[in-house]
Amino acid sequence: MSTPTSTPTPPDPDTDTAAGTADVGAVTGEPLLDVRDLRIVYDSARGPVEACSGVNLTVRPGEFVGIVGESGCGKSTLLFGIAQLHSAPARIAGGQVLFRGRDLVTLPPKELNDLRWRDIAVVMQSAMNALNPVRTIGDQFKDAILAHEKWSEERIRERSAEVLRLVAIDPVHLRSFPHQLSGGMRQRAMIAMALLFTPDLIVMDEPTSALDVVAQRSLMVQIKELQQQLGFAVVFVTHDMSLVSHFSDRLLVMYAGQVVEFGPTRTVFDTPSHPYSASLLEAFPSIRGPKVPLTGIPGDPPNLAHPPAGCRFHPRCPQVQERCRTEQPELFDVGGVGGGAVVSRCLKHHPGNPLAASVESAEPPKPAEAEVQPS
Amino acid sequence: MTAVDERPEAGPAPAGAPLLETRNLSRHFKVGGSLFSHQLLHAVDDVNLTIGEREIVALVGESGSGKSTMARLLAQVYKPTSGEIRFQGRDLAQLRGRSAQLKYRSDVPMVFQDPFASLNPVYKVSHGILRGMKLHRPDLTTQQARRAELLRVVSAVGLNPPEEIVERYPYELSGGQRQRIGFAQALAYRPKLILADEPVSMLDVSIRIGLLNVMAKLRDEEGVSFLYITHDIASARYVSDRIMVMYGGHVVEQGPTESVLADPKHPYTQLLLSAVPDPRAPLEVTTEAAKAEPPAVIDPKPGCRFRARCPLAVEACATVTPLLQPVEPAHKAACHVTAPAPGA
Amino acid sequence: MKFASLVKNRKALIGLILFVLTCLLALAPGLFTTDHNPGVYGVYPPNLGPSTGHLLGTTSYGQDIYSQLVYGARQVLQIALLAGAFATVLAVLIGVTAAYLGGLVDEVLSLVTNVVLILPTFPLMIILAKYAGQSNTVMIVVLVATGWSYGANQMRAQALSLRNRDFLEAARVRGERRSYIILFEMLPTMTSLIVANFLGSALYSVLAASGLQFIGLGNADAQSWGTMLYNANNAEALQGGNALWIIAPGVAIAVLSAAFALMNYAFDEIGNPALRPVRRKDLRRSRRAERLAARDAAHPNAEKGASDVDSDLYADAS
Repeated sequence: MSTPTSTPTPPDPDTDTAAGTADVGAVTGEPLLDVRDLRIVYDSARGPVEACSGVNLTVRPGEFVGIVGESGCGKSTLLFGIAQLHSAPARIAGGQVLFRGRDLVTLPPKELNDLRWRDIAVVMQSAMNALNPVRTIGDQFKDAILAHEKWSEERIRERSAEVLRLVAIDPVHLRSFPHQLSGGMRQRAMIAMALLFTPDLIVMDEPTSALDVVAQRSLMVQIKELQQQLGFAVVFVTHDMSLVSHFSDRLLVMYAGQVVEFGPTRTVFDTPSHPYSASLLEAFPSIRGPKVPLTGIPGDPPNLAHPPAGCRFHPRCPQVQERCRTEQPELFDVGGVGGGAVVSRCLKHHPGNPLAASVESAEPPKPAEAEVQPS
Repeated sequence: MTAVDERPEAGPAPAGAPLLETRNLSRHFKVGGSLFSHQLLHAVDDVNLTIGEREIVALVGESGSGKSTMARLLAQVYKPTSGEIRFQGRDLAQLRGRSAQLKYRSDVPMVFQDPFASLNPVYKVSHGILRGMKLHRPDLTTQQARRAELLRVVSAVGLNPPEEIVERYPYELSGGQRQRIGFAQALAYRPKLILADEPVSMLDVSIRIGLLNVMAKLRDEEGVSFLYITHDIASARYVSDRIMVMYGGHVVEQGPTESVLADPKHPYTQLLLSAVPDPRAPLEVTTEAAKAEPPAVIDPKPGCRFRARCPLAVEACATVTPLLQPVEPAHKAACHVTAPAPGA
Repeated sequence: MKFASLVKNRKALIGLILFVLTCLLALAPGLFTTDHNPGVYGVYPPNLGPSTGHLLGTTSYGQDIYSQLVYGARQVLQIALLAGAFATVLAVLIGVTAAYLGGLVDEVLSLVTNVVLILPTFPLMIILAKYAGQSNTVMIVVLVATGWSYGANQMRAQALSLRNRDFLEAARVRGERRSYIILFEMLPTMTSLIVANFLGSALYSVLAASGLQFIGLGNADAQSWGTMLYNANNAEALQGGNALWIIAPGVAIAVLSAAFALMNYAFDEIGNPALRPVRRKDLRRSRRAERLAARDAAHPNAEKGASDVDSDLYADAS
């Protein structure tokens, strides 16, 4: 699906312009992570529910990819799939997760274990639940290290102190218990733990959602600084689009288990191609500028056991057209609106569609079989 | 039901007293505790809050600022350590008897933060609403009347079709729907003031606005006042008439929402504002204050509690607790530097 | 709904069948044997072996062992169910009250619970039973007095974890009375624990009652499996070559105990997912945490307690 073309991207020190160099389909050299047509289903008593329907996603070394969507859109499932942390009743029903060319889906558990934490680390939503409340931070770091390496006590201590300093926590806290740290510090300690082996990829599942605004902002800045310093790639899942606006290079918008838009962050923010992305952007009040009444997105995300026919967003879409109710849109190439390629799953981008607002174009004028893949 | 437009901010309340006010309200908790020594955590210190009729007052602060304790003081879950709460001019400490207590509870219900925990999972979602009516709506004497009111409040918070919704169990509803049930429950009491403790913080960004709009609608159509507790100053701006910023148990700034946000005087308010992610604005990295520790509210000494994180701190901040000083009509801040006391 | 899933679970099904069988014996012993007075001495020749007339032979007092077994079910079951029920009620009352009221009440009730818990129960039972005389009522009182404490501790723990849940606080803020909150908001969410506790107590009562009867502290006038053992032992049945006299009631006791135990396990299995609406989210979180923990070979218990510590500092400080 991806054709390697241009030059490898080093960890880009400049966030806001990095987006400009990004190009969705054309992956530079070998992508660090290449998720291909990943399908994850939950087996339930009433049959399988597909939480992740054919997701394609590439992450280059040192890149920061944001994944946004409402709860239940499959973003956390996708993240678990990437880290192969899913457990029954979830299972991979198809597709590949290529990490440096190796398919994690078929990798034997032992090799997978070697890979995880060393090369792929995970930071979870609630540090308090991921940390053992009755053991010190230092002990838990030690456990994590010893699970992969036979380091000396000395070396373990040094490395633990080193990563804590990286996240601006005084190493004396190696002797602290999780409850003695503030929420923000616990989350930073989790990130420090993820950094123990300086992984190439860190996947984060809403690591800031339990924090208040100030701590949240400070943690985001810190993650970004660390990323620039150490050069790891980040896949960052959140429901708050505004949170990643200044930090991610590319943004993947998910809705009802599908990718609905994927492109350079700036482009998606400035000119959202999918009505859902646009609605998400409209959904939070601004702190500056005139106070305008907002509507949010009416309704709730669909039940994935019975996704709506046609475009899955059509029941809530402000721009819905007749054909949206029956026709399932592909991911269409929107072109380089803001300097990088964007793909969008909306029929208004269907090649041949006289763009947007033709509300009643009698019937679909096209056979509509143009297989446009994000490539 | 007279709308109070000019609210006296302090001092003896003239005619047209506010719906609810607190006077030097404080609540301290014992922490750490051995038999011989314990420390006092000053969760709320000397707070004077007023809420008028048909008014949404936002109480903004980070976790540990005392804002949730305020809600629980007003909901009479906690008893004040000192100070008083006056509702419609009457001191709550004077309330005697279960019926007076119940009356207050029906006038001032509370909506909780976590919609996943605030409904009893073994009952249908109508359970809490019906129980509330039983306790607080003696006027609804018949089954039919209660049923009609049930459907009315459920559809008033935007849940449709109400007949179907009320038959469901909590786990069959989304977080946003459950939180609407929380509001419906409060609404069923015909309240004067709803205490909303971070009602949207656990919901998706995309459905928060819907809930905030419900609050505004209830204010406009049902004449309900709200105390909206949040750490999200952007949503406070969206929905509130007045705003009150708390830090470390103290009110550091208060005033009409637009005035406070357009011209924040207290450095903490400024920090809060700068931390709001705004994709339309360029990134300003100001992590200095953000990295610092939470305020020392355990056995605090006099002084400004924000001083350790404050870029403007002067000597007086470490010794004298700043008091709220007017900076504009009805807009006050507690800062030695930006809002000095007259004559200081 | 629960009954259906009980039948689907194999453990539950076996337990249920054994239990129903015992119930039938207890309710209508006349259906299973023609000898309606199996306690009477010398009706048959003593020490007969098994035959079609006497399926399990006769005792050395000339009684039909099979009939005694059939008639003995009633008393065991009666004691087990009543003692189990009362012990559970006591456990719920004390445990939930302690947890909900907290403070000094909790301190006192917990102290009492723990003291009873660590008392050597069997010797205590012997003393109590010996002192108070030998009747079923005494037996039940003794069993309840010694059997409630374990459950009370469990109830207290569960109630404590529920205590700060928002829906209980919501009920308090709504203005509900304490009794209503405990009875109608709290207890329904604890159903599966209560049922499991009842089954556990019943099991304990079967064993303990039989034990007491075996050493001669039961009601000697009534037929009971434990009393059968007592009589057989006194008559030196094993030495006399009449092993069935001892084996039959022993197996019967084991079977009834197994029935309770199987239903107990099954209810645990069924009951926990049934509780899911309460803590689906916690479960998901703790599962994530467990996965994480498993990966870095850390530790299995990053769960419930953690999120409690995490909750509002002030709520805990009160």
